[in-house]
Amino acid sequence: MKTFRVFRDKIIVFLSIMGPGIVTAFADNDAGGIATYAAAGAKYGLALLFTMLLSTVCLAIAQEMSARTGAVTGKGLSDLIRERYGVKWTLFAMSILIIANIGTTASEFSGIATSFEIFGVSRYISVPLVAFAVWILVLKGSYNKIEKIFLMLCLTFASYAISGIIVGPSWKEVLIASVKPTFIWDAEFLLMAIGVIGTTVTPWGQFYVQAAVVDKGINASDYQYTRWDVLVGAFFTWLVAFFIIVATNATLYTNGIGIETAGDAAIALEPVAGKYASLLFAFGLLGASMLAAFILPLSTAYAVCEALGFEHAVSDSYREAPVFFGLYTMLVVVGAGIVLLPGISLYRIMLTSQVINGVLLPPILIFMMLIANDINLMGEYANSKLYNIVAWIFTMVLIALTVLLLVSAFVPDIFNILLK
Amino acid sequence: MQKHIAEIYFSQLRGKDICDNKGRTVGKVKDIVTLWTGGLPMITGILYSEEPDKLIPADIVQNWDGKQVILAESSEKINITQITHQQLFVGKWLLDNQVIDLKGYKIVRVNDILLSCDEQDGKQRLSIIAADIGIRGLLRRIGLEFLASRLDKKYISWQHITPLEKKTGSLKLKLDKDRFKKLHPVEIADLLEDMDYDSRNVFFKALGSEQAAEAIGKLKENTQVEIVTRMDKKQAAELLEDLHADEAANLLREMPKEKAAELLQLVKKDKTKELKWLLHYKSDTAGSLMTTEFIRLPVTFTAGQAIEHLRRFAQDAEMIYYLYVTDVDEKLLGVFSLRELILADQEITLGALLHSKVITVQVNDSRKKVAEIIHKYGLLAVPVIDAEGFLHGVVTVDDVLDLFMVDRTLKASMSRYLNKRGLRRK
Repeated sequence: MKTFRVFRDKIIVFLSIMGPGIVTAFADNDAGGIATYAAAGAKYGLALLFTMLLSTVCLAIAQEMSARTGAVTGKGLSDLIRERYGVKWTLFAMSILIIANIGTTASEFSGIATSFEIFGVSRYISVPLVAFAVWILVLKGSYNKIEKIFLMLCLTFASYAISGIIVGPSWKEVLIASVKPTFIWDAEFLLMAIGVIGTTVTPWGQFYVQAAVVDKGINASDYQYTRWDVLVGAFFTWLVAFFIIVATNATLYTNGIGIETAGDAAIALEPVAGKYASLLFAFGLLGASMLAAFILPLSTAYAVCEALGFEHAVSDSYREAPVFFGLYTMLVVVGAGIVLLPGISLYRIMLTSQVINGVLLPPILIFMMLIANDINLMGEYANSKLYNIVAWIFTMVLIALTVLLLVSAFVPDIFNILLK
Repeated sequence: MQKHIAEIYFSQLRGKDICDNKGRTVGKVKDIVTLWTGGLPMITGILYSEEPDKLIPADIVQNWDGKQVILAESSEKINITQITHQQLFVGKWLLDNQVIDLKGYKIVRVNDILLSCDEQDGKQRLSIIAADIGIRGLLRRIGLEFLASRLDKKYISWQHITPLEKKTGSLKLKLDKDRFKKLHPVEIADLLEDMDYDSRNVFFKALGSEQAAEAIGKLKENTQVEIVTRMDKKQAAELLEDLHADEAANLLREMPKEKAAELLQLVKKDKTKELKWLLHYKSDTAGSLMTTEFIRLPVTFTAGQAIEHLRRFAQDAEMIYYLYVTDVDEKLLGVFSLRELILADQEITLGALLHSKVITVQVNDSRKKVAEIIHKYGLLAVPVIDAEGFLHGVVTVDDVLDLFMVDRTLKASMSRYLNKRGLRRK
């Protein structure tokens, strides 16, 4: 009986602290995430399942590190970069964050545009309207009320899991593909692999999870529960990605159907929803994109202002916090504006922004690792040796992949040369 | 005789070559140290090499403000000193860090530091005069100040600055307790909200107990809970005693149950009873909002007796402008105001003075309903009764005021965004 009570109390504490990790992980499966996983499954079948497993491990490590740093220091990542490395490095890190997040915001608006196009609404109508709505709702602070609607819409992505199970792939094959290292030596595959990593582990997610941990007042003694929160979150990210790849593999890859637009990813839902597949997909995509479109520009502007010490603790007037509102508005306007460029492919925006995120991730990871290793800051909670080895290997691999990608852009034959 | 020579920014000083009196380079300015004992801190030494504690003493500097820092002695004769515990590194500990602006009551980040160079007895001396917290300071650090040359410089005079205490490193920056005495509880609350939680705890300890209790009443609930949960138990129990009963009960209600029970045992007996009773009421109802520290008068009293009673008990009451009259069973009979009492004939009984039509709320009425009633009738407080008409307590207007005033600071809205995405901490 006593053990039960201890167990129950632990669960209660866990529930009260749970949140940051799981939420960040869910937000990772946004428009760009769905598009990337679907494209990966449609184009390469199960080949990227292994990459997905790797990037999930890395997601868990990176998120754990950020959350731990937040819990121990009580400070955001951008604050710590500023205090340890000064203005220049802070500006560097913030530029990365801004660029990556403009890309991600553009990809969210692409998701919004795609779902509206499925409903038959032109992007030139939907995107400006939604962008304005997002902008004004956040500034008026009335966003919380509608957030639940979008969260509900996101649940429609559970239909990928159902679809994956209905299709009934060879589970043995799937499991083997999940753990068997597979790498196809061409630039397209490389691009896709970086995209998969970039959509799973994002610069944005690292800043966000740390800010959320700090804001919740989680401290080092509560930290063991946050570790579980982060791990559970990473597992769910993997699960969603896993089923999307399995479903698109069975419906698109094996039938030789390529994905031209994000809407094509809806085909993978036909086993569940038949002719309503694209509607189901559109609702899910809308929910996921809207959620991220709300939180991304805001949290970016906040992180930047906090690090650079601009006024941000004032009422919602432009005059009193010009940098904050300028930055916030810029992110929404540029993000939405990219989607409206004539002739641009929405689907390309979604994929490319994930690759950009992947390419920009290593510098942020390096900052995180240096900080998490700082004994002065972290004391007994600094990274362990084993941890560092795994984290550095991952960072190096990601850098190597990025370099390879850049080289392949200039020397298209690089893979043939390397393979010989 | 002291003569002002020039003003220099730390960002401009850092990286300069250091030369001895024969023009030989000794090193570069890596950082400078200061002795901060109150007033404007004087620079006492220069960190000039990779060795972390070795300093060139500042009193042998002949010239600070030229292209190089020029020493008055030859390099062989320099008496290299070690950093002491009272000294602190300006670049490492102050620049880019957050400090408390005691004039603006907020936490600011130091973008650059303004130093004043003065001449005394033929030697130049350097002292810190202000923190640059503006965009210009930021741009100066990356060599782009000209971009913002039309903006005003934003300084805070160093006299109004106090460091946040650092828990790390060999050196402890001490908070100057006397400087906080003049702050209003609301200003302290503002500062506390801005701090990270290590600084919060240290800062909180630096406050007097009464000041601490008043300030904590002005904080947001989750900040309150966080601070109290982290305090040592004895201190937390003392704080609960200093708080108004309704505030203390609310705080306990928001805390993890076990922790609350533990603290409750440490609180003084008479207070414990009151708190336990308040804790029976459900969260966010009139019962949870109300205070029991108000003036309750028996209907049999005369006005003169009532004033006598007030003199004795008004000190501890949260609300004395409305006076509530009950019968022997503590059923609410009526109300009158302090003004009416003062103007009334001393001999008149309260039964003749009271207004029997009283605006009340029920124990289980929601916070929103209480706020609406207070707002509708323009009250300072409203009594809380149960179905039988027994008087339980009084909700004062400040306990529901936040429903009318949306907290629009960005920090607060950011916090809402972050929190709403997870479960609320209970």
